[in-house]
Amino acid sequence: MPGAGGQWPWRGACRDRAMAGLELLSDEGYRVDGRRAGELRKVRARMGVFAQADGSAYIEQGNTKALAVVYGPHEMRGSRSKALHDRALVNCQYSMATFSTGERKRRPHGDRKSSEMTLHLKQTFEAAILTQLYPRSQIDIYVQILQADGGNYCACVNAATLATIDAGIPMRDYVCASSAGFIEDTPLADLNYVEEAAGGPQVALALLPKSDQIALLEMNSRLHEDHLEQVIEAASKACKDVYAVLDQVVRDHVHEVTTLLGE
Amino acid sequence: MAPPVRCCVPGERLCSLEEGAAGSGTYTRHGYVCAALAGCLAKTSEDGALPVVSVVRDAESQLLPDVGAIVTCKVCSINSRFAKVHILYIGSTPLKSAFRGTIRREDIRATEKDKVSQVEVYKSFRPGDIVLAKVISLGDMQSNYLLSTAENELGVVVAHSEAGAQMVPISWCEMQCPRMHSKELRKVARVQPEFLQT
Repeated sequence: MPGAGGQWPWRGACRDRAMAGLELLSDEGYRVDGRRAGELRKVRARMGVFAQADGSAYIEQGNTKALAVVYGPHEMRGSRSKALHDRALVNCQYSMATFSTGERKRRPHGDRKSSEMTLHLKQTFEAAILTQLYPRSQIDIYVQILQADGGNYCACVNAATLATIDAGIPMRDYVCASSAGFIEDTPLADLNYVEEAAGGPQVALALLPKSDQIALLEMNSRLHEDHLEQVIEAASKACKDVYAVLDQVVRDHVHEVTTLLGE
Repeated sequence: MAPPVRCCVPGERLCSLEEGAAGSGTYTRHGYVCAALAGCLAKTSEDGALPVVSVVRDAESQLLPDVGAIVTCKVCSINSRFAKVHILYIGSTPLKSAFRGTIRREDIRATEKDKVSQVEVYKSFRPGDIVLAKVISLGDMQSNYLLSTAENELGVVVAHSEAGAQMVPISWCEMQCPRMHSKELRKVARVQPEFLQT
């Protein structure tokens, strides 16, 4: 019924789509890809993918694939006037491969969305890296999305965390990110592309799990303030689940490296 | 049988501040020492003072030149006012990517810096020389690292003559080419005898 729910007009739109055959949350509580409301997609990650970079990592969250490469800390390149006298400068670049989306992407980087993501990444990592140890130097973080299936920013943050740990740059804590949405009074964790394109509210949360500090919180669309706490709670729990997986990956990598060196 | 190595990850709480002091690769938060790197835990027990807790990684992370450090650099260009160098080694650790530094004319020598007997950069360094210098400043917005060779132990250690042969130092301000027997002016470093290879 178009227009049903006068205060929340998009609810009607969701029901329209539901009638068209695309139910984001079925009556039994299953989402389009068969997950439960609070369940994450399968996370697979590897560290030390490139030998020539200081740190690198590859992560797959469901069908979203992201690659992160970290260089640094090194001397400021380019304009020396941007150097900070007491901290390191974190320089990020976010780009999507031209083959990452359904239709060939015209501009891999430099468009508005990429610039905004770049700024978000920079803000997130300036909160986590101990930049006071490297005054007047620069740390570069380059992230590329190889396949985009929702949760692009979150996959980037998780990949960049692993790459920074691989590069040996001191960090306060891991930075784990996850997205969350709100469909039919239920918060959903880790949205995929179909759920993001549906147009409902989406929250992206980047968290430092040990201290429960939020590095970045971003929301699209509209959400009633009564539901905000539930959604943030779901996103936090999803971040902690991601943290458990990333922690295991890092520990395995460190064990492997130390046994190879024979320490 | 070596004791089991304890691996830690960033953010992990290692011990409280009463049990250990924070070393490299760690930071303090709310009275606890937490790891900042992913690596192995190393505890050095000193007598009297608290043991220093640090996290060691397999590969050395990048070192940055600090004020007062002795660095080995290569001269890339000279000017009447300064010499521009690439910093290659800090102490004895090589750098993965070279930093840029500047040795100003007034920092080349400790004595005779005044206006009457002007120090000439051309008579102290040439492009391609390997120089031992000390970092005196991290520099500000416009400049690179500022270095100084104003000590007896600092200055040119390896230089090639115009003929291409490696020169031998004969005094604090002259080096001689073994092939052509020509003397060239450099600000020579007085290397300690135990470091010389004969």
